[in-house]
Amino acid sequence: MVQAEMVEAMEFQALSSKHNVSGVPQTTINDGAANVVGAVPESNMLAELKRITGK
Amino acid sequence: MAKLLNADVVKQIEDAFAPMKEAVQLLYFGKKANCDYCADTQQLLEELAPISDKLSLDIYDLEADADVAEKFSVDKAPGIVIAAKDGDAVSDFGIRYAGIPSGHEFTSLIQDILLVSGRDSGLSQDTRDFLKNLTEPVLMQVFVTPT
Repeated sequence: MVQAEMVEAMEFQALSSKHNVSGVPQTTINDGAANVVGAVPESNMLAELKRITGK
Repeated sequence: MAKLLNADVVKQIEDAFAPMKEAVQLLYFGKKANCDYCADTQQLLEELAPISDKLSLDIYDLEADADVAEKFSVDKAPGIVIAAKDGDAVSDFGIRYAGIPSGHEFTSLIQDILLVSGRDSGLSQDTRDFLKNLTEPVLMQVFVTPT
């Protein structure tokens, strides 16, 4: 139920622009419901997922 | 055609893959036009797959094999799916690459193959609990640049 996709920003510029990617890595969740910039600890990512799914 | 992986790198990968217990299936999706990195990505995977007998590679075309692409939710080329293989059954763990896995991303590719082979996410109990209660699909796209 979770899909995790590496997206190479140079090859997919339209998608990168759509999500205002500047600093990498940027993790865009559910097409922009959340954006996490940088390599963050698992707990940070989990907090964002909980926030946007309300779980 | 010159090899993308030299003998030293192949040896390192061989060592990294040696402990692999369970089989991994790679699915590659390319397209014929407007895909600057398709040929190199396909070649990279064709050089990588034979390094372990636990690793298999199937090559698909995004357009000609649209049904397979849809089944695996792949819409970008070059696209890679890293899945688990148990006998003839392929289990999708939701891991995708869009674009050529070069530089640091090549290391990530190797690590993801090992992760899928281990059949365990390595995540915390909190995260596992969250995932168990998840009722809607989640898409996480990690944008990277080649270094």
